[in-house]
Amino acid sequence: MLFWVIAAILTLGASLAVLLPLTGGMKGASAPGDHDLEVYRDQLSELDRDVARGLIQPGEAEEARAEIGRRILRLGAAERPASASASSSRGIRLVASLAVLAVPLLSWGLYGVLGSPDLPSQPLAERLAKNPADSSVDELVARAEAHLAANPSDGKGWDVLAPIYLRLQRFPDAITAYRNAIRLDGDSAVRQAGLGEAIASAAGGIVSADAQNAFEAALKLDPANAKANFYLGVGLAQEGRKDEAVAAWQKMLGQLPPDSPWRSAVQQALAEAGQPAVAASGPDAQQMEAAQQMSPQDRQAMIETMVAGLDDKLKQNPRDEEGWMRLIRSYAVLGKPDQAREALGRAVAAFGADSEQAKKFTAFAASLGVTATE
Amino acid sequence: MVETGHFALVLAFALSLVQMLVPLVGARTGNQRLMAVGGPVTITGFALTALSFTALASAYAGSDFSVANVWENSHSLQPMIYKITGTWGNHEGSMLLWVLILTFFGALVAVFGNNLPATLKANVLAVQGMIGAAFFLFILTTSNPFIRLNPAPVEGRDLNPVLQDLGLAIHPPLLYLGYVGFSVCFSFSVAALIEGRIDASWARWVRPWTLVAWMFLTGGIAMGSYWAYYELGWGGFWFWDPVENASFMPWLAGTALLHSAIVMEKRSALKIWTLLLAILTFSLSLLGTFLVRSGVLTSVHAFATDPARGVFILCILTLFIGGSLALFALRASSLTAGGLFHPISREGALVLNNLFLTTATATVLVGTLYPLALEALTGGKISVGAPFFDLTFGPLMLPLLAIVPFGPLLAWKRGDVIAASQRLMAAFALALAAMLVTGLFMDGASVFAALGVGLAVWLVAGALTDLAVKSGAGSVAPAVMLRRFAGLPRSVFGTALAHLGLGLTLLGIVGTLCFGTERILTMRPGETVELSGHTLRFEGLFPQKGPNFTEDRARFLLIGADGNANGEISSAKRFFQARQMATTESGIRTLGLSQLYLSLGDEGNDGSVVVRLWWKPLVTLIWGGALVMMAGAAMSLADRRLRVGAPARRRKPAAALTSPT
Repeated sequence: MLFWVIAAILTLGASLAVLLPLTGGMKGASAPGDHDLEVYRDQLSELDRDVARGLIQPGEAEEARAEIGRRILRLGAAERPASASASSSRGIRLVASLAVLAVPLLSWGLYGVLGSPDLPSQPLAERLAKNPADSSVDELVARAEAHLAANPSDGKGWDVLAPIYLRLQRFPDAITAYRNAIRLDGDSAVRQAGLGEAIASAAGGIVSADAQNAFEAALKLDPANAKANFYLGVGLAQEGRKDEAVAAWQKMLGQLPPDSPWRSAVQQALAEAGQPAVAASGPDAQQMEAAQQMSPQDRQAMIETMVAGLDDKLKQNPRDEEGWMRLIRSYAVLGKPDQAREALGRAVAAFGADSEQAKKFTAFAASLGVTATE
Repeated sequence: MVETGHFALVLAFALSLVQMLVPLVGARTGNQRLMAVGGPVTITGFALTALSFTALASAYAGSDFSVANVWENSHSLQPMIYKITGTWGNHEGSMLLWVLILTFFGALVAVFGNNLPATLKANVLAVQGMIGAAFFLFILTTSNPFIRLNPAPVEGRDLNPVLQDLGLAIHPPLLYLGYVGFSVCFSFSVAALIEGRIDASWARWVRPWTLVAWMFLTGGIAMGSYWAYYELGWGGFWFWDPVENASFMPWLAGTALLHSAIVMEKRSALKIWTLLLAILTFSLSLLGTFLVRSGVLTSVHAFATDPARGVFILCILTLFIGGSLALFALRASSLTAGGLFHPISREGALVLNNLFLTTATATVLVGTLYPLALEALTGGKISVGAPFFDLTFGPLMLPLLAIVPFGPLLAWKRGDVIAASQRLMAAFALALAAMLVTGLFMDGASVFAALGVGLAVWLVAGALTDLAVKSGAGSVAPAVMLRRFAGLPRSVFGTALAHLGLGLTLLGIVGTLCFGTERILTMRPGETVELSGHTLRFEGLFPQKGPNFTEDRARFLLIGADGNANGEISSAKRFFQARQMATTESGIRTLGLSQLYLSLGDEGNDGSVVVRLWWKPLVTLIWGGALVMMAGAAMSLADRRLRVGAPARRRKPAAALTSPT
């Protein structure tokens, strides 16, 4: 609102600058010849001074004086008739009114196209000082950063900031923050595991020796730390020790509480490792235990039942992207390429052949060795 | 505040359109009221542009990253001075500074131009308005600094580290004051062409503007040269870089204009030529802006490479240069020629000066544009550097410098070379002595070095001779001489100072180029190195942290003859996190007029570092001379003669006071 008031005042001022001279009285204008005459007079007096200082020879000075005199004479002859200022015809009034109108019209029109009048100024200090509840995550992070720049030994601050960095995918910052938190507030399994995750994520998901050390340190403090266990499994798989990885993950599945968010990650990892994975909505801890005690045939049967359940669910609710991918993968893992292909076909049909999802499904299926039949 | 600035800019554009049309119509039809619009509109336009610039600067000062331009070129951790100078350390902001100065000069004409003939003033303001309108439109359509970001990022991308220097606070504003100052001369010329007549007071009006612009341009170029010297770490002060040439060409043409305007003012001669020079000088300023801003040249200065901008500037260039030259061709024949003079006279000397300077300008222009044209036509890339300019520009400058001391000593209309030579005998003897001393007693002095020193001494002594002769040295008693000296017109001092400054600059250049020494070596902490009688001990590398950078600072102690340290030089390699860029901070110690210059190279694993060391004798004179030239221009500006031509404020010339006979 304030902006519009200021804009209006500015426009008014600018329009007045055009308008006032147009309506003002006429000043007695001096004829252009007056200016010239003054200059010629001064040239004459300067000539005298130059002669006195020896800058021009007396003979030449006479010549110059004659030249200037001739110019003064010519001036009188060429004196232009006083221009008829009464010629304020309609044309001139038109120009005047156009000029006065042009200022507000042009400026408001152009500003309407170019400007962002609703956007207030946002100086950084002001943004960092306002109520945290109104701030964006970025602003909160910036505020915490400013605080930590001033108090770099605030371990708690680093501890809070580190997982946020991780979520914002600012991995190098997350590494620094976790290291500072560990250095200042001491070791903990969560911090070490977080550090490991940050290092691995910064390396594009590769669990390097550094990351591995961090995870192992976490396990020393808390052997049941799910993040550390999971990533160590990933590390094993990356080294080509698939069996050990699968064993580690399966051990995890047995230990994880049923509501653990790590469950689905582990199951997905198992599925990618070529091990029968079970749909996320499927087995709970009891079922898993039961499955482990079953004979191989029975286990296979149980898994197939679950897959069939998923299949049915997708027939009723076909717009479940995750579900389709799980189904395709399950059929592929179970060694039923025909059904996998058929599932792919249905998935593509559900989202339309040209959709983003369809491309994703096809690519995903291709990575499992399943190609659509023509 | 930001949007207020944006709105003010748009409003200023609207006013510039009024400014370019209404007074022009008024002058054509002889309507007083329409002509009167020019003044207030120009002043208001300046106020609005200043408001707009202030808004942008305060957005920079407050790190308002909701402004895209601030986000791209600033960082919250920068020191406040670089936050503010960052306002014009980028394309958009620097163009805003350009129009700010343009409107400022326009407002000056409006305020102090009451004693101008009404039609001339109206036309001048209209032409200023045209230039302003073109550049406002350019800014608003292709380089708007007020584009917003929503949501706003919380951290900026930092200013280019090379620009995080005090030089940015001084160099561009001075340079632009120079470039844009010539726009007033241009406007006066085009206004005269539009009217079809040149008032007698025309030159009296144009000369102070030329002086102002020339003064600032001299300062801007010198500052730019010093900045490049200490910031880039190569130890050179002039690289014949196209961007440097772009500012040098208007300077050469402006120098010519300055001299021809004297003739026109005093003798009403060379009118048409002066008009043409004024047009050419500003055209070269525009060309400089085009070369730097369009991204045709890739260099530190081209922070923007955008074809749309290039095409737009090219259009502005074509419009103004082509338009004004066409107008010149159309109208020049109807202008009356002025006073007569003999070839050997003050006028003749100034014409000779103009010939040399314009030829030199053409040389630089060819050297700058030829590679561009070749690349555009054949795709081949060549670089025209120092060897070309040494062979073309140098030989043109030598005779010009040799005749400089004669000019002020020649009489108007018909001069006497023999008499002038006799007066310059002492100066000539001094120069000859300096040449002989240099040639015979200095180690490693070449013929060129001896000549250069001689020429520099010739210029300095010639300037002093001019002052001495005009105060009547040798013919009157010392007391009278002193009184005469005090009573000399300021413009005489101005001339002498400017020519003296030229000599000093030349001395600095010759001293540095011919007697400078250089060493490159690897040093470990504790080692010493000796260069031209100065011993330095390397103390080691020390890591340090700045507000937005980290650096490895190498400390060197200057060891005196008695073995004690009597000074420290430190050079650093800085690393800027935000841009992931490294810069070198050279270490400089000024000893008398000379400098010891030190720059770091690569580091070894064992704490050793490559060090480049230069001894630059008399190097400070290069820029000191430029300061003296600026002082000369300022002195000339204070001369009372420049304030004549005003019937409204008529005063009897106080001849008795200013010029005792």
